[in-house]
This record gives sequence, C-alpha cells and structure tokens, in this order.
Amino acid sequence: MEKTARLEAHKRQMLGTRRARRLRRAGLVPGIVYGHEAEPVPVTVSGYDLAVLIQHGHRLLHLQLDGEEQQVLIKDLQYDHLARSIIHVDMVRVALSDVVSVEVPIIIKGVAKGTHEGGILEVHADKIEIECPVTAIPEAIEVWVDGLGVGDAIHAGKVQLPAGAKLVSSPELLIVTCRMVAEAKTTEQVQMETPAAPEVIREAKKAESDQQKEQD
Amino acid sequence: MALMPKRVKYRKSQRDRLKGNATRGNFVAFGDYGLQVLEGGWLPARCIEAGRVAATHYLHREGKVYVRVFPDKSVTAKPLETRMGKGKGDVDHWVACVRPGQVCFEVAGVSEEVAKAALARVAHKMPFKCRFVRRRHTI
Repeated sequence: MEKTARLEAHKRQMLGTRRARRLRRAGLVPGIVYGHEAEPVPVTVSGYDLAVLIQHGHRLLHLQLDGEEQQVLIKDLQYDHLARSIIHVDMVRVALSDVVSVEVPIIIKGVAKGTHEGGILEVHADKIEIECPVTAIPEAIEVWVDGLGVGDAIHAGKVQLPAGAKLVSSPELLIVTCRMVAEAKTTEQVQMETPAAPEVIREAKKAESDQQKEQD
Repeated sequence: MALMPKRVKYRKSQRDRLKGNATRGNFVAFGDYGLQVLEGGWLPARCIEAGRVAATHYLHREGKVYVRVFPDKSVTAKPLETRMGKGKGDVDHWVACVRPGQVCFEVAGVSEEVAKAALARVAHKMPFKCRFVRRRHTI
C-alpha cells in the first residue's frame, strides 16, 4: 500500500557540529537530501513532524523543499545516545517508478508451540532487506511462529514477503529460533570458573623464554 | 571473585577519564527489553553479578538474561593504615567503564510486565540511574 506524507524542509546554511546542535536545541533536525545524480542538499526539518511521520510508519515523503516538491525516501535515521530523539535524517531522492532495496522490520506474531514445552523464543534478526517498488514498501513483515517447536528455526528464505517484493538478504539469515533455556549459573559456579587472578601475558611469555634459555 | 578477564597484558591500569556518551551498545540488540544506564562511571563486577542473579532468580528459567558489559579494568587499593608511597597498591576489584546510554542488561522470551519487574530488580543493584527500554523497530 502506498503510504506517503508531506514534510516541509528548508535548505540549511548552518553547517557543522555546533550549528547543528543549535538547530537541534531549536526543535529542528538537520538532514541531507541526495541521489538521482543531483547535488546533495543539506536541509532542516521539524523534529516533531518527522517523529510523527516515523511513528506512523511513513518512509516515502513528498518533501516541500523551499516551495519545490520532490519525492524522497527516508534512508537512515540517527538517534541520540539514549535513543530518545532523532539527531539526523538521510533522505534519498526517488522516482515513483523506482525499485529500491530497503530494510524492513520484522514483527514476530503468535505464540510458539515450543514455549509451552519450556523453550524460549530467540529473535536473531529484527529486520530483513528486500527489493520492492518504492510505492509498495511494507511497514513491517509479519512472521508467524505458531508452529515453531523446540529446536526449530525460521530463516529469511521461509519468510512470506508481500507481492512484488524480492529478498535481498541471504535466505540462510536466521530470524528466530525456539530452544530450551540453559540453567543459569549460580554465583558459586561463576566463582569456580573464574581464576583468582588473571594470567599476565607478558609474565607468561617471560617464564617461557627463561625455560627455553635453561634448556639451551 | 566475580567476573574478571582470564588473561591481561598488564595487571594494573591507570584510572583514566571517562568522557562522552555511549556511541556503541546503546540499543537493545539481543533480547526484547533492556536496562539502559543514564549516568556514566565505573560499574563494579560485584554489581554486575548481583544484577544477573537478581534477574535470573526472578525469571525462574522462563526467559534469558544477556549481560552486555564486562569488567575489564582493574582497580587497585592500598591496605588500611599504610603509609603513602612504596608503589601502587594491589588489585582490589574489577570494573566495567560505562557511559550514559549503555544497555547493560537485556531480557528475552518473557512478557513486558515480567521483563519490567525483572529489570527493576536489576536497577536496584546498579550504582546509576537506569531506565527500561524496548527493542526499537526503526528504519
């Protein structure tokens, strides 16, 4: 399903770390628009508007760049160290007829059969790369795990993709497994495994060389 | 002794400054939920072990606990009532250097309510302010 939204952007004259910080303090997000054999353009967008669009799963945007409209695809987002706010956005120009390669999040659905037998579900990959028309990028791909028993796994090749999409990730990419939980080690076991003091590499080497000298 | 490296190049390390925020290990990568620290500092090995034990006891073999930090820095201390000088003290304990944003513990295979309760118990063992985080599905 085509999911597009409008976003207003302005060309950014303020370049550099300190200026970008000033923009962020003012509620704006610095970003860049590139691709389609045109010059990259640094831009600023409203942080609130961008966050709302991302939350609603929009990836294809009609960007109003100083009155000029162009279609862009959100390629990358950078978050701050606490993963709370967006600090930079990468947007790539696209035509509506383009076929693009994008990473799509995987959503695990259902309750695995193995979890009733004492197993736990382990998610190894939370997104896969697919190739699809830019107007038909799925918001997420659902993976149903109802039939997954203990010791079973689902690989990327087995994931049902939406019509028109092609898998780019390796078909052997492990998505989810169900396995028994190993018994957690007690503090005593951990203490038994760890030595009283770590071995010092240099001292071990010196002892070896001393032994060799004695043998010679 | 709790967690410590098996082999080291040098037995004692300098204190060093801990600057900036976590640029790596600041998102939930293995489990479904995590505990993110909001302050930086030294996280002693005994706190890591206490957190691990608190979470595993609460989960009763239901889920899996991931520990994302490892104490690889030695801290030395001089014995009590010792005069200054005579060289650096002996290794007292081991710590992990943690910056704000680091996800220290993760939990997988349990519901959000159970994960929240388990990680709240872990947070009590931490010497920093912490917050509960979920795995982020983003672009």
